[in-house]
Amino acid sequence: MSILVRRSNLVVPAVQSRMVVRSWTRHADAVTVDLQDGTPAAELARVRETLRQSVALAGKGGAQVFVRVNADFVYADSNAAIGPALTGIVLPGVEAADQVAEADAILADLEKIHGVTRGSLEITPSIETAAGIWHIREIITASPRVRQVGIDEAALAASLGITQSSEHDAFVFARGRLCIEATAAGVQPIAVADPMGVQTGQISHETMTQIATDSRNLGFKGMVCGHPSWIDPVNEAYTPTESLVDYYTQVREVFAQALAAGTAAAPFAGRMIDVPVDEWAKDVLAMSAACAARDAEKQAALAAAEASFDSSIPVIG
Amino acid sequence: MASTPRRLKRSGLTMPVVTPRFINNAWHRGCDYINMDLEDSVPPRLKDVARNLIRESISVVNKGGADAVCRINHDLMEADLNAVVWPGLMMVNYPKAEYAHEIQRMDGIITRLEAERGIRPGTVEIGANIETAVGVANAYEIVTASSRVMDFGGASGYDMSRDLGVEMFVGFDQFVYGKGEVELAARAAGREPHAVPFTPNITGSVSDPDRAFAEADAARKCGFRIGGGLHPAVVEPQIRGFAATDDEISDAMWVLQEYRKLDRTGETWVQVDVASVDREGSPRPMAADSYLGRHRVIDRYEAARAEELLQWRSRCQERDQEKAEAVARVNAAEAAESPG
Repeated sequence: MSILVRRSNLVVPAVQSRMVVRSWTRHADAVTVDLQDGTPAAELARVRETLRQSVALAGKGGAQVFVRVNADFVYADSNAAIGPALTGIVLPGVEAADQVAEADAILADLEKIHGVTRGSLEITPSIETAAGIWHIREIITASPRVRQVGIDEAALAASLGITQSSEHDAFVFARGRLCIEATAAGVQPIAVADPMGVQTGQISHETMTQIATDSRNLGFKGMVCGHPSWIDPVNEAYTPTESLVDYYTQVREVFAQALAAGTAAAPFAGRMIDVPVDEWAKDVLAMSAACAARDAEKQAALAAAEASFDSSIPVIG
Repeated sequence: MASTPRRLKRSGLTMPVVTPRFINNAWHRGCDYINMDLEDSVPPRLKDVARNLIRESISVVNKGGADAVCRINHDLMEADLNAVVWPGLMMVNYPKAEYAHEIQRMDGIITRLEAERGIRPGTVEIGANIETAVGVANAYEIVTASSRVMDFGGASGYDMSRDLGVEMFVGFDQFVYGKGEVELAARAAGREPHAVPFTPNITGSVSDPDRAFAEADAARKCGFRIGGGLHPAVVEPQIRGFAATDDEISDAMWVLQEYRKLDRTGETWVQVDVASVDREGSPRPMAADSYLGRHRVIDRYEAARAEELLQWRSRCQERDQEKAEAVARVNAAEAAESPG
């Protein structure tokens, strides 16, 4: 089974045309064009007119493109975005399975109308309330379109009356539940690791790498990036390092030798190597290869886009 | 309050049953149990060989007083159970438990084997180990699937890490939610949670005695009563870590003494500044700067905790005596057999 590599997901407000125009150059694995936060209601109709063009533009560098729709306008927003460049929608404020089921039905209709492959559009539920966390199992199993699920920590904090602080992590349980339930359902959890929820704007490469590494080591498979500077460290943190690849290559060799010698447990570098360690070594090496393939794919798309770059493209929005 | 397991499992060694030197030396390691492994430490081509070794190995590993336990393969459950459920086996460890029906099926097979092989009905326990996100999600259904499930834990370790796609030994508690769910399910069902509180570990060493002691000590103070490991060097530190110290025992006796005084006054609680208590007296409270603090509340909850600690010490002493006598019997028998 192929590995879904979607480490970084850059969010750009649909109404901020400069951000949208530049999003394809940022090396993100995914870009989410946001129609919800940051897009005034009065601007929605105008933004929808150029949304399909924005989606195509955001994907020029090989990123998969999502549109965060308004919960009250799933049909109109999705209808405006749908096209060959759209990977799926981010559905905000999901609290119950029927919201996902309804979005599934809407996307099915739109796929038929627009000639898009049936069932191809994804739904990424964004969990923003206690009800959403509580009903997570029903939500993520409500449609096969759900391949990733995330917590919007800022929204969750607001809904719970929490003032986020780097000293007190209020979401240990919420993140843990998300990771367990999503993994159990074969869905990728994406989120941010404490104190990510209180971070905004530009953050040092080193700090973001650590935050993203902690996030990965909680079980998340990618991070939503609120600023372009987060993308490279996030991609790095979610890609097995050279030293990890070297280590697990050696683990595989040691384990193979142990098996040949008649045992499935062998000491190596101060640890005990057995079946699950060898299985994990296979996973890490496969992930490394998948990340390299994804990076090559994006690099090729980026090179092609740069070669055909037309500076006369009008600023949209 | 900590629950009271039927058999103490403070320290146990998991070892491949196909390695004779491990099995032959297991009886004098001082463990409460020996976990003979058919699973991850046994190569696939040796599974049949391993299975056939269990029956005779039971009496080898338990002759020093340790209980005999066997970890079977998740995907080879029926064949493994047929090979391991023999008189003398205390528990079957079932790895990667994910669904209640797996445990129910195990229960049925064990029930049949107990009847066929002259084993007292209902005595072979099941240890259900949670090692995947699915297992955590179904924890309560799994632990309540059979009354044989007396040991329930996991939600961490290599398999769990692999399932979640995380590196281990990163220095923070990656598994806090899953471990919490599993512990809660076990306690709600009245079963023994097999867990340890988080203590930072970035080395992954399986033979560090200091770490083994610290982990066992922390586990006991958090109400856990089960330990285990892979290396003989961790056995004694685990036994020591799970034992109440002399100061803690004296403290518990002092708490009960103060509670009896309180009971006579008709009050339900009293706060005592232990700094003002005679340090030479006996029994006496833990020092004011101990982890229990200076201002101690004596009430029925503290009295219950103290009572449980004294019971725990008593059970530990009985178990240690039981093992010492078994080892002495083996040594005496071997001395009698040796020439000259």
